[in-house]
Amino acid sequence: MSAAHAVWSRPQLAAQVLRRRRDGQAEVALRVPTLATPHQVLRLEQQLLAERGVARVAVDTLARRLRVRFDDTATPLPRLLAACDAAGCPAQPLAATSLDDARRREADESLRRLLVAGIFAMQAMMFALVLYLGVIDAVDTLTTRLFRWLGLLSAAPVIGYAAWPFFRRTLAGVRARRAGIDLPIALAIGLIYGASVLSAVRGGGEVYFDSVSMFVFVLLLGRHLELRARHRNGALGEAVADAAPLVAERRNADGALEPVAVSELLPGDRVHVAEGGVVPADGLLESANVQVDAALLSGESRACTLRRGQAVDAGSVVLDGPLELRVERTSADSAAGRLGALADAARRGRQAQGADDDPAATRFVLRVLTLAAATVAFWLWRDPARTFDAAVAVLVVACPCAFALAAPATMARAMAVLARRGVLVARPCALRALARVNHALLDKTGTLTEPTFNADRITSRRGLEPRQALRLAVALARESSHPAARAVARRAGGLELPQAREVEVVAGGGIRGRVDGRVLRLGRAGFACAAAADDEALWLADERGALARLPLQESLRPQAQMALSGLRDAGIAAQIASGDVPSRVRVLAARLGIDAWRARQSPADKLRQVRDAQAAGDCVLVVGDGSNDAAALAAADVSASLAGASELARAHADLLLNDGLGGLLLARQLAARAAQVLRQNRRWALAYNMAAIPFAALGFVPPWLAALGMSLSSLAVILNTLRIAAPLPAAAPPALPRLRERTA
Amino acid sequence: MNALLVLIPVSLLLVVLAVAVFFWAVRQDQFQDLDTPKILPLLDADEGAELPPSRSKEMSP
Repeated sequence: MSAAHAVWSRPQLAAQVLRRRRDGQAEVALRVPTLATPHQVLRLEQQLLAERGVARVAVDTLARRLRVRFDDTATPLPRLLAACDAAGCPAQPLAATSLDDARRREADESLRRLLVAGIFAMQAMMFALVLYLGVIDAVDTLTTRLFRWLGLLSAAPVIGYAAWPFFRRTLAGVRARRAGIDLPIALAIGLIYGASVLSAVRGGGEVYFDSVSMFVFVLLLGRHLELRARHRNGALGEAVADAAPLVAERRNADGALEPVAVSELLPGDRVHVAEGGVVPADGLLESANVQVDAALLSGESRACTLRRGQAVDAGSVVLDGPLELRVERTSADSAAGRLGALADAARRGRQAQGADDDPAATRFVLRVLTLAAATVAFWLWRDPARTFDAAVAVLVVACPCAFALAAPATMARAMAVLARRGVLVARPCALRALARVNHALLDKTGTLTEPTFNADRITSRRGLEPRQALRLAVALARESSHPAARAVARRAGGLELPQAREVEVVAGGGIRGRVDGRVLRLGRAGFACAAAADDEALWLADERGALARLPLQESLRPQAQMALSGLRDAGIAAQIASGDVPSRVRVLAARLGIDAWRARQSPADKLRQVRDAQAAGDCVLVVGDGSNDAAALAAADVSASLAGASELARAHADLLLNDGLGGLLLARQLAARAAQVLRQNRRWALAYNMAAIPFAALGFVPPWLAALGMSLSSLAVILNTLRIAAPLPAAAPPALPRLRERTA
Repeated sequence: MNALLVLIPVSLLLVVLAVAVFFWAVRQDQFQDLDTPKILPLLDADEGAELPPSRSKEMSP
């Protein structure tokens, strides 16, 4: 293993992945494709921190990424990679450019602004409280003035720093001549703060520093929740982009192999890929017969044999023997890149559609500003001296605090409720669309069906008992999340399992590890024991050869029948679109009672089906698990994927169903409920604002009452969102017991 | 009233301190992964026992 890592000590490669910090330490981003369970995170962190000179390890489980800050003179990069191997999580360095990603900076900035707003809003409220109580205790005017100035001081960072994004986006919007939701918000913040500063300086009138700070804080809180939801999706997307290899072995004219960066490959170069390696660029095969797995592209993890002169796609995994290929296209325009680009384009199209800033909120705030203007006009006519105070009071009372909070609070609560029931929502808007869905497109392999394993049909060799073989296989299988491995691991019932050590998961191959002191392999026939191709079974083998054959079969997922009849009851027309042969699709469709099915569908075909249905006015739900579904998933109004899906599919899914297809019905039910609660919340917020405005316009609302009203109306919105989960069955005890099952 | 002249600057100082600590925590990536660390102590760290115990204190959450 370390021989392969030695490449990274070459200066030109190290320069591509290491970033030098000012304090002399180096920083590197690693991709850990097999990282999934907290158990692995723990093991990896401990292993790395045990190395000399490793200062910090930051794990991003969602993006399957690792950032390590270390002293590369004490621990060179190859040793770091060896430590990852020892932890059972092989890692590949990523280009140094991936160290400073915009996503992370955006999240940090949002968090900092949120906190500044929170802390200083509390401070401003504390000083305001003294003023409110001061009215009763008749504190002398000097103290009153002092506390007004302190309020001004506390609110200044909130307005000048925390609320800055509102002002910045407003400026950009004005320059581009379009009015977004930020314009009225920035206007309200600016006017209230400006008026309060004026009052504090003049020494008369009312100040609203507490209200305006709280307004900013609540708005930022809502936006931050949204941002986090969006970033989860982004993280899943990056996990895919990272899959492209960085180093390739180029065969020079003299026949020697030279490690080069993939970005330096040119069409016509000859490239050598070792067994288990990822093909770095599209090309033509120059070796005789090679088995590759194009799971990244097809989504269906299946070996296929290629002959000399046939095309090999970038991203395929080499299953047996090294291969040589002549590069045709480089990584950027290779098949994997193109497939990703297709999905990206579909996704962007959808985002442009759905990116409308809440039109209801804009309308609302504009109405409030009109009312404030009307108040000004009225008081200018009646009593010009009271104009200023009354107009500001209207602005404060009418601040769309509860209104702006309604959507993010409802969505955040709905997402939390669903997450506890095994459905992860990556894109909050999808929940709104889900309530309107009337057409569903489902993939077959992996979505409606799954590999299952019958323990009674194990055939073992060399005198090993079938039960003993199962025990060894399960010990290895539970280390991987591959659907086939999970099918085997589910048969663990009642067995006393040994702990597998030095486990290594080889993508497209299987699992290798030490169990009871012997090195075992579980996986494809070619990976485990170099036997003839056998797509119907997993093989268990040790160094001397095959030990057992574990036959797999395709069967209906447990909740498929229930989910489909649920969809039908909800008035959703379901349709199967599969890449598989017609005979198998027909049988399955008949079993599920679905009339509409299509077989042999390419990714482009599936995308066309989605577009056609959308053109006919349908709101389309796509459920799929392979990378070949990615484009359709991205184009759909709502997309769902299952836990075992390919990374590309998960990256483009709005909903991730961890506990099976039943989650789909749950999500639909909750989406309808959330839409209802959101409408209630907005109606309540509007009613509160509209009822309070006349009193404010007439000058009956002192600042303390305005602040109290703002808090109580927001609180009512939050309490109302808690009712979302009410009609659902109680959640199963959360993640922890499941987690133990999987890891312990 | 004299107490105010002491307590107000103290409270402002505390606020500035809190913000500084928080900015430091954000810079140290303490808020990057909010899901995994809470589960880590509950796992059976069987592999952890094989490592030199003196190193474990450096583990960042």
